Amino acid sequence: MSRSYDRALTVFSPDGHLFQVEYALEAVRRGTAAVGVRGKSCVVLGVEKKSALQLQDPRTVRKVAMLDDHICVAFAGLTADGRILIDKARVECQSHRLTVEDPVTVEYITKHVAGIQQKYTQSGGVRPFGISTLIVGFDPNDTVPHLFMTEPSGIYSAWKACAIGRASKTVREFLEKNYTENLDRELTIKLAVKSLLEVVQTGAKNIEISVMESYGVVRSLEQTEIEAIVSQIESEKEAEAERKRARLAATQAGQASMFASALSAAGTGAATPSQADASGATGEGSDVQ
Amino acid sequence: MECSFGITGKDYVLLASDMSAGRSILQFKSDENKIKELGPHLAMAYGGEPGDTNNFADYIERNMRLYHIRHHHALLPHAASSWIRRSLADSIRSRRPYSVNLLLAGFDTTDDTPHLYWIDYLGTKAVVPYAAHGMGMHVSLSTMDKYWHPNQDRRDGVDVLKKAIAEAQHRLSIKFTFNAIIIDKDGIHTVDLAAEDPIGKIEAEKAAKAEAEAAAAAAAAAPPAAAPEASAPVAAAA
Amino acid sequence: MDTLVAQLAPSRRGDEGSSSTAEWANNGYGNLDASGAVAGMDVPGVPDPLAFLSMHTDSMSTNPQAKIKLAHGTTTLAFRFKGGIIVAVDSRATAGSYIASGTVKKVIEINPYLLGTMAGGAADCQYWETYLGMQCRLHELRNKERISVAAASKILSNLVYQYKGMGLSMGTMICGWDKTGPALFYVDSDGQRLKGDLFSVGSGSTFAYGVLDQGYKWDLSDEEAQELGRRSIVAAGHRDAYSGNTVNLFHVRENGWEFIKNYDLSELWYEYEEKKKADLAAASAAAAGGVPIDVE
Repeated sequence: MSRSYDRALTVFSPDGHLFQVEYALEAVRRGTAAVGVRGKSCVVLGVEKKSALQLQDPRTVRKVAMLDDHICVAFAGLTADGRILIDKARVECQSHRLTVEDPVTVEYITKHVAGIQQKYTQSGGVRPFGISTLIVGFDPNDTVPHLFMTEPSGIYSAWKACAIGRASKTVREFLEKNYTENLDRELTIKLAVKSLLEVVQTGAKNIEISVMESYGVVRSLEQTEIEAIVSQIESEKEAEAERKRARLAATQAGQASMFASALSAAGTGAATPSQADASGATGEGSDVQ
Repeated sequence: MECSFGITGKDYVLLASDMSAGRSILQFKSDENKIKELGPHLAMAYGGEPGDTNNFADYIERNMRLYHIRHHHALLPHAASSWIRRSLADSIRSRRPYSVNLLLAGFDTTDDTPHLYWIDYLGTKAVVPYAAHGMGMHVSLSTMDKYWHPNQDRRDGVDVLKKAIAEAQHRLSIKFTFNAIIIDKDGIHTVDLAAEDPIGKIEAEKAAKAEAEAAAAAAAAAPPAAAPEASAPVAAAA
Repeated sequence: MDTLVAQLAPSRRGDEGSSSTAEWANNGYGNLDASGAVAGMDVPGVPDPLAFLSMHTDSMSTNPQAKIKLAHGTTTLAFRFKGGIIVAVDSRATAGSYIASGTVKKVIEINPYLLGTMAGGAADCQYWETYLGMQCRLHELRNKERISVAAASKILSNLVYQYKGMGLSMGTMICGWDKTGPALFYVDSDGQRLKGDLFSVGSGSTFAYGVLDQGYKWDLSDEEAQELGRRSIVAAGHRDAYSGNTVNLFHVRENGWEFIKNYDLSELWYEYEEKKKADLAAASAAAAGGVPIDVE
């Protein structure tokens, strides 16, 4: 029954769905993760990059692209679709400068990109773009960083911090928990890396970070810099875990002594197994931590 | 009513243009920059029909920038000259052509050679060691013929340019003011024609810039070492 | 690279003239096409619109015998100074040797922050600058911020450049205040667009420049600047047969433009003459007295 709606593009199903658009979103969910974090005066894009095959030239795989001097974009989903969309956006950036002299604003180019994506959900003989994008940058004559997201449906929205792609829900929840206002440069980068580590198990070698510090000043971090940040995060995690363990051990010891005193008060030797049970239970708890 | 010059040397190319803009007998501006930077090592001086000139120059500029962003490197001077010439050749065969003449100057960073192209609105392109467009063609070409020699250094090049400009200012009935640039392996630099030693001034600026960059790099190198300490309290608070 | 040309090429060359005309004529958007983009205006359905125009009108002053005399002749000026921008214009419109009107508004109020001046064909200026006002409003609605003066003037210049060689005649100054401060652009029907501090346009502009250039400096006070604008238009109205009647004076500041006043040009002229005479008399009296007098 629903099959016929799958095949015909951009046609509603009886319950108001556009299946092709939803499948495009699925393609996004299967794409590599990307995060964007807006700090006080900078904005950071972090992407998960697939490990290059042994004989592949890793330089040809780019996941963060420059649209204009002051705008960068990262995407999740079908890489080939991303390339096409990025090219259209680049042409628009230059075309805008040609017709009104001023560079584009971040919202303008986001709206343009989202507009293209929307067009492909409402035209004949085409399929939607299988990508979501994160667009970051600074407006001309302005110092406020911007972060936008677009989806295959053509929706666009502004964010303080946002994640797209694989496990984006987990990363977004992590960001929601850990984001604070007015982050400085170091902390913004760190939050981006930390949130990516939620999904990237392999660490620094599969992470790419781009930082935009002001209008037209963009830098991608070197591998060594990312490694330094990752190892710093790991050592912090380690310290955190250590403290937790210590705390647990302390409470455990406290409990044990309470048990012991209670038992001695009862004056029976038969309680030994239950004491073992209790310590075993808390022991398991600390393992999970 | 315009006048522009281009001169190549051993490892640089010079470009100069007048700065007047007006309509019929009136001069509206005497400080209009008619040299367009098209990339890190490419620039052109343009003149011709008012309106066409700026529109064409902007169009070329934006396409060069688009190429740079798309391909992560700028077009080399030779390729750029071909594309610009082709744009004009297509234009002359269209319903309303651009009437624009230009001198294209660039520095090829792959083999460290200066390039200068003389291009006119018909789509003619000539590779030249030195050239002029506009009124300057009539009075200053012979000056350059006499004083230019191959492989001359920067100061000699600027001297030839100053002679050509002096001749134009001396013999032409219109008073021109000029601005100039020099393109070398480090990019595009403004030449202060009024300065006693324009090249010395540029070299001093270059040295100052290099020093500032070195200082900035040193400053940038320091924070990573300090970073863990700086963020330690934050981690403890967390 | 050919695709580059196709993608970024300005749409002006090609055949937008006749084919698109029919398309937008009946869709109820006036001269806007459905997307709100520039659609344009009717061009006479003849092979050479310019020849048609000069046969029937005196558009380029090429055919003084033409039955249709377009409103022409003007003095307009605008200059930037530390207190903003002064815009001053006369108010005479002439058709041939006949004064068609003495109360023309030659400053077009594009929006509360932008002014355009009118020189050349009155109809062309009025039509396209009103159109520019629409585009500026659309920009505001789409981008949630005011358009920059650079962008507004560029829209106008792109527009008239599309019609280059088809008989449009306008020389205008777009003045306003944006994020970059006070900005002034000269745009004409050649498609030329210049950024600058001081411009004067029209048949009387040479006379206006004569006063303006001598009195202009960046550090003028508001009163001095307004007086300089006024005096320059009076100078042009006095010498140029095609300028005169009244002076309209505007001042653009950070919070938008303000209309200062409409002055009768000949009254001003005689005031200036009287003042000059009085000053001269005072000077000669001082000289005759032989005693230097401190003037407070």
